[in-house]
Amino acid sequence: MITQNEINIARHCISYALEHGADAVRVSVNDSTIDSCTLLNGVMDKVTHAADRSIYLYIFADKRYGTFSTNRLEVSDLEKFIVQSITMVKMLEEDACRTLPAPERTAKDAITGNELGLYDPRYEESDSDSRLARAKSMSMFAEASGEGYEVISEECEYSESCDDNFTADSQGFEGRHTETCFSVFAEMTIQDKEGSKYSGFWWESSFDKDGVDLKGCPKKALERAARQIGPKKRRSGRYKMVVDTTVATKLIAPLLTALNAGSIQQKMSFLDGTLGTKVFPEGMTLMDMARTPKKNGSRMFDTEGVATKDAPIIENGVVKQYFVNTYMAAKMGIEPTVEDISRPCLMPFVKDKALLSDEKALSLKDILEISGNGILVTGFNGGNSNPVTGDFSFGIEGFAFSKGKITHPVREMLITGNLLELWNNLTAVGSDARASVRWQIGTLAFENVSFSA
Amino acid sequence: MNIAEYYHNTFGVSQQQLDTLIATALAKGGDYADLYFEYTTVFNLLLKDGVVSSGGFHTDCGVGIRVLKGERTGYAYSENLAMGEMLKAAQAASMIAQTDGAPRSYNSSPTSKGDYYRMDTSWRDVSADAFLPFLQDLEKAIFAKDSRVVKVIARLSNSVADIMMYNSLGEITYDTRPLGSVSVTAVFQQNGKTENKNAARSFRTGAELIGPALAQEIADEITTGIDQRFEAVRPKGGQMSVVMGAGASGILLHEAMGHAFEADFNRKGQSIFADKMGTQVCPKGVNVVDDATITGNRGACNYDDEGVSGQKTYMVQDGVLTSFLHDRISAAWYGVESTGNGRRESFRYNPIPRMRATYMESGDADPQDIIASVKEGIYVDEFSNGQVKIGEGDFTFFVKSGYLIENGRLTSPVKDINIIGNGPAALADIQAVGNDLKINNGTWTCGKEQSVAVSCGMPTVLISNLTVGGE
Repeated sequence: MITQNEINIARHCISYALEHGADAVRVSVNDSTIDSCTLLNGVMDKVTHAADRSIYLYIFADKRYGTFSTNRLEVSDLEKFIVQSITMVKMLEEDACRTLPAPERTAKDAITGNELGLYDPRYEESDSDSRLARAKSMSMFAEASGEGYEVISEECEYSESCDDNFTADSQGFEGRHTETCFSVFAEMTIQDKEGSKYSGFWWESSFDKDGVDLKGCPKKALERAARQIGPKKRRSGRYKMVVDTTVATKLIAPLLTALNAGSIQQKMSFLDGTLGTKVFPEGMTLMDMARTPKKNGSRMFDTEGVATKDAPIIENGVVKQYFVNTYMAAKMGIEPTVEDISRPCLMPFVKDKALLSDEKALSLKDILEISGNGILVTGFNGGNSNPVTGDFSFGIEGFAFSKGKITHPVREMLITGNLLELWNNLTAVGSDARASVRWQIGTLAFENVSFSA
Repeated sequence: MNIAEYYHNTFGVSQQQLDTLIATALAKGGDYADLYFEYTTVFNLLLKDGVVSSGGFHTDCGVGIRVLKGERTGYAYSENLAMGEMLKAAQAASMIAQTDGAPRSYNSSPTSKGDYYRMDTSWRDVSADAFLPFLQDLEKAIFAKDSRVVKVIARLSNSVADIMMYNSLGEITYDTRPLGSVSVTAVFQQNGKTENKNAARSFRTGAELIGPALAQEIADEITTGIDQRFEAVRPKGGQMSVVMGAGASGILLHEAMGHAFEADFNRKGQSIFADKMGTQVCPKGVNVVDDATITGNRGACNYDDEGVSGQKTYMVQDGVLTSFLHDRISAAWYGVESTGNGRRESFRYNPIPRMRATYMESGDADPQDIIASVKEGIYVDEFSNGQVKIGEGDFTFFVKSGYLIENGRLTSPVKDINIIGNGPAALADIQAVGNDLKINNGTWTCGKEQSVAVSCGMPTVLISNLTVGGE
């Protein structure tokens, strides 16, 4: 955890930089500790302990700007470092758009660091023995077996971490964000009777020590490995596609990159010029739920110190907000918002509203039934998208499904298309996003997707 | 000041303190311990919209302490090089030895120092203002070469890392590693359409890298093939013959073969190649190398991050799998010498088997004849990223540009397609290897658990059956 002395050092850095030629300064102190235990086949394989401490300086001088960091936090070292940093800033070219955010935009309510309840004090009670015990309780290697395959290896990792950030600027902003994280990860590799290997992994993380399922993690990984046995290739063609919630982020992340003002200003966005226009389907709503307490990803301020807020990014298909930091706002002559999204939430949706259940709950099972026949994507294997055109091509693995029921695994297939066209073929968004993840994107369903095999 | 004094002074530790740290690390019964001291300076400049208005530098210093008990690892690090803090890290790492398990003997490895970096002028000795004209001239050269250019983003970054390694075998090694990189993105517009292209160069050299020749080389590359990019179409998807162009196609080896040959995956039985040592995995005549000894190459290592000499390792010779890529743990487990592949991102990470410069040696086919031999297929020569599933062997790589091959001729340009294949099947499906090996000197970075600088290369190669994404 950041100490009062380190906070005082951060404040000293600001005044020292101002005294030595800076016009404005932002300072960010980061303190992070992580302890992890990894078991291989039920036996301890790796124990790690990491403790990081660093300071970042964002220096504005003579309409010039530079960023600097060091992990040497002794005051005498830092003072020399600041003088060198200011000297370098003054060698760069002028850019009058580089300024701190206006004071009225910065957060005033991030005082303790735990306003959002993301710090579990039980973190401090842990020790190496308790972490080892939790890691050991995960392993199911001794009893792991299944019909038609043998378990080749099991890796289980349990980790606990705490990240603490204190950010301050020369206009009076001070903010703190503290977050604990308890994580489990398991990977199982199995071999079927023909000698083919399959691997499956599963992970969970939560700020809450009780928020992860220790024993369930390797079970889920084994289940995900075993269900891949006996893949078949499906013929190339256009199919309905359902994308499992665990991997749905892959398709929405490029939209958020394209909505960043930095991409737009550099003509590197296929969503340039879409603000206020309807380019996504009616009913598609993406929110930034930045300030929801006790949810992974929530935060009170962005990296500039600007206060976050819950806000629609896409509402009923209309683009409502770009991510515009202070620099881009000045450069583009538009209003600033926040630097990037905190906690993306895609709201549940069904194109054919008659199919929506009374409970408004939409599970993977519901969405497979709604979709009928097609391919369920449970993993992406590489691929990319062109930020300028939105054209994409991704490797996929998953399952064919017919009449709402999974029939057989598929792999070595590719999907290809354009992101705007794909999202306009959206037919459903589930309400089944995993509680423990930052990206709240449920199971997705699309129609008319091009698959190659 | 001699070399040893320089490093001991940099980290403020004496030989006696090193021995104390090792003794502390082994106090609970570990088989082997090592120390990895690092002081890295990173410097960067960014040109955007015609001005170099952003830049900075970063320093990072610390020691990583590792204890091995059998194949098990205890790892801790300290950013504070005060003896008390380092002892705490040594004690934390030593805890691994309290677990049950058979001991293993870790033997000495080759520790003769290579000389694979060129650094006439240290990056640390050149101030930022000296590099501004380079970025400005680079931007001008790009605009001058193509009137369709509307935006240029150019980055210059460099790092210098002082490394001192010491282990319980009494081996001490010192290394200073330079790395300089220039990467550029240009955006082009024509008739209302927009396209972009990237180009980069990265070398383990000093500041002498930066100059007009490099600017012109990058400007030439980034403005080449833009007509084709505006004309490019998506091919019809499906299985087809793929001709991998010389150079960046080495990404195929990195994904389809290199990761699967990293010995940690094989020690754990996870790799599809785990039981294939000594067997024919490629057609006869094919040689695949992972090489730390190419002077100035981004993947070059005088030593790996366990203090083992940089080496040239044949993974496949005449089509036969001859070696995995080993760190000390897997080498001891397999009863072989380390191949010098124990690498890490920084002192914050324990070393694991990683690639360096991975390439296939030239064959004897004429590249034009290879293309001419394909009735229907695709030629690919520019890539952005790749991935592999170790157990299944399924790999992919994303193609930024290429051409259709129709009746032995390159015809319509293609772009933005993913290609997928299975490692063992793809290697067995190699039909021809060209005589034109080319190492690609882009900013390749491998992201297996940690980021490390690598490079790759390939002659023109024909693979008979890969799945190509398309409409």
